[in-house]
Amino acid sequence: MSVNYSPVLWNKQKKLYDLILWIGILFMAVTFIIFQVLFHKDITLQTLIIRTTAIIAFFLLHIILIIGPLCRIDKRFLPLLYNRRHLGVSMFLVALIHGGMAIVQFHTLGDTNPIASIFTANSNYLAISDFPFQVLGFLALIILFLMAITSHDFWLKNLSPAIWKGLHMCVYLAYTLIVIHVATGALQYEDNPIYWTLLVLGVITITGLHLYTGIIETRKLSLPHTLEKEGYYKVCSLEEIDDQCGKSVFINGENIAIFKYDGNVSAVHNVCKHQMGPIGEGKIIDGCITCPWHGYQYLPDNGQSPPPFNEKLKTYRTSVLDGSIWVHPLPLEEGSFIEPTKIPQS
Amino acid sequence: MNKENSFFVGWKDDMPKANRSLLIKFIVVLFISIPLLTFLIVKSQKPFNNHIFEFGNVKEFTGIYHADPVPILEVTDNKIPEGFSNYVLLVGFGKFGAEGIISNIEKSSGPLNGLKVTLQGTLIYGDGRYLMELTKKEDSLIKIFDEPTVANTHLYDRKKDGYSGEILDPKCYFGVMKPGEGKIHKSCAIRCISGGIPPVFRANIENGQYEYFLLLGPNGEKINKAILNDVAELVTIDGETSIINGWPVLYANPSDIIRINKKSYYAQD
Ligand code: HEM
Ligand code: FES
Repeated sequence: MSVNYSPVLWNKQKKLYDLILWIGILFMAVTFIIFQVLFHKDITLQTLIIRTTAIIAFFLLHIILIIGPLCRIDKRFLPLLYNRRHLGVSMFLVALIHGGMAIVQFHTLGDTNPIASIFTANSNYLAISDFPFQVLGFLALIILFLMAITSHDFWLKNLSPAIWKGLHMCVYLAYTLIVIHVATGALQYEDNPIYWTLLVLGVITITGLHLYTGIIETRKLSLPHTLEKEGYYKVCSLEEIDDQCGKSVFINGENIAIFKYDGNVSAVHNVCKHQMGPIGEGKIIDGCITCPWHGYQYLPDNGQSPPPFNEKLKTYRTSVLDGSIWVHPLPLEEGSFIEPTKIPQS
Repeated sequence: MNKENSFFVGWKDDMPKANRSLLIKFIVVLFISIPLLTFLIVKSQKPFNNHIFEFGNVKEFTGIYHADPVPILEVTDNKIPEGFSNYVLLVGFGKFGAEGIISNIEKSSGPLNGLKVTLQGTLIYGDGRYLMELTKKEDSLIKIFDEPTVANTHLYDRKKDGYSGEILDPKCYFGVMKPGEGKIHKSCAIRCISGGIPPVFRANIENGQYEYFLLLGPNGEKINKAILNDVAELVTIDGETSIINGWPVLYANPSDIIRINKKSYYAQD
C-alpha cells in the first residue's frame, strides 16, 4: 500500500505559532501556581499539578473551539486555524498530565487496578451530583488521545477525510464530557458561585458563536437563485465577486465554489479534499484556487491539484449572461476539464 | 483593497498585515485575561486544612502497641506535642491499613498487643490527631522492650449517640491529600477504606468543631466494605459511642447510616 502525503514543513509562521502557544501555556501555569502558593500555602504538589494542568487544558479547549466560528466571522483569524492541530496536541499533552496525575494520586497503591478503580470506586452511575465524574474525564482523554495521534496528514489520507473529520468532530463530545466532568466533580466540592458562572459562560460562548455563524452560513448559502434556464441557475452579478476571489453557493443540494479570475469564470466543488475546508472562501494565487484553511491548491478549469499532488475536485459548467454569473449544478467527474467562461469585455 | 491583502496562506513565510494586526490584538487580550482568570479561580477556591504529611521523613516512636480497636501506638516517649493526642493511629503504605504489615511482623516476633515497642514511620497530623504510616513495611519494627504486657487503657462504657458528618479516610484527611474529603476525593477515600484503612467519622459537634470517631460495626467488627457507598457524603449515623485506647469509637449498623443532602443539612443550622 502506498500512501502519499505532502510533508508538513516547519516554516517561520509555524515556529512562531508554537512559540506563542507555549509561552501562553507557561504564562498561565506560572500565574496560577504563584496565586496558589500565595493564597493557599497548604496546597500539596500533586494537587497543584492536577489543578494547574486541568485549568490550562480546559482553557485551551475553549480557544480551540472558538477558532472555527471566529474565522467565519472574520477571515483574518484564519492563521489561528491553519495550525490548530498544534493547539490540539498541546492541549492533549497538558490534559494527559492532569489525568495521569489524578490516576496516580487517587487510584494507585491500592487494592484494585488503577484503571479499573476509576470505573468502580464510585459506582453511583445513576446519581447526578454523586456521579463518578472521573470516568467522564477518562473517556474525554481517550477521545483527545485518538485525535492527537491521528492529527498528522498521514492519517488524514489513510482514514479518508470523511472518517477523519468524523473522528475530529468528536472534540465536541469530549468538550461535553469535560463540562459534565467539572460540573459533577470539582463543582460538587467548591461552593463559590463564581465557578458555575465561569463554566456556564464558557458553554454559552462556544454554543453561541457556533449557532451565530451557523445561522449566517445557512442564510448565505441558501440565497435565492430562482432564475433557471436550460439547467443553469443564476448566482449573482459579476461585480459581486472580486477579481481572483470566489463565492460559495448551494444549488439543488450541490455545494459549489465559483471563481472569477483573469477575465474568466469557473466553478468547482466547494469542499476541500484536505479537511473539507470551504474552497469558495479561498483565493486564486499563482493561477490556482487556494483553500483558505491550509492552502491546498487546485486549478480552476479542471479542479486538479498541480503536480506532484493528485487531489481532484468535481467541476461545474458556468455561463455569463447580461452581467450575471450562471452555473449548472450537475457536476462533472472529478478533475474534468471545462473551458472557463470568458467574461465579455464591455 | 483590504480583502486582497488579508488572504493568508499558511505555507508561505509571511503573514499579511491585516491578519497580523488583528492577531496581535487577540493575543494581547488573551495574555491580559489569563492572569485575571487564574486570580479569580484561585481566590475563589475553598481553603485547604493545615494538616501535614512529613513525606520522605521517617521517624522513630516508642510506646505501647494496641491492636484494639485498630492498630494504635500509645506513644510514651513525650515526642507528641501539646494539643495532640498521643494515641497514634497506624496505617500502611499506600492505600492500605496497618494490619497486613503488623500480622507479617508478628509471624516472626510473636503477638505485639500490649507490648512496649519502637516503631519507625512517617507522621501525618492535624486537628489534634496523629497518624503514622508504616512506610518501611515489615522493617517498621525497630525494637521490642522486655517489659510485661500492658492491658488496654481507658475503656469507657458504650452510650447511645448520633451525629451528622462525613465518613473519611483518615490517612488522606489528616495530611496526605488536599483536599482529603468531599466529592473530589471520594474515589480515593473509597480505595483507602476498601484497602483496610480504618474509616473515621468526622462528626459535626458545634460551632464548626469536629469529633473524630473510628467507625465500627455494632459488635466492634470491621464494616469497611459495607459503607463504601456512603464515604465522602453528608450522613447522619446513630449508634453507640465509647473511647478505646485514646480513640473515640462509634459502633453503628451500616443500615443506620443515612444520607442527607446538603440543603436540608444547612437548613438545620
Ligand atoms: C484520566 C482522565 C481524568 C481523570 C482521572 C481526572 C480526574 C480529575 C479529578 C480527580 C479532578 C478534581 C481535582 C481537584 O480539584 O483537586 C478533576 C478536575 C478537573 N478536570 Fe479532570 N480528570 C481527567 C481528565 C480530564 C480532561 C481530559 C480534562 C480536559 C481538559 C479535565 C479537566 C478538568 C478540569 C477543568 C477540572 C476542574 C479543575 C480542578 O478542580 O482541578 N480532566 N479531574
Ligand atoms: S481544508 Fe486544509 S487545505 Fe483545505
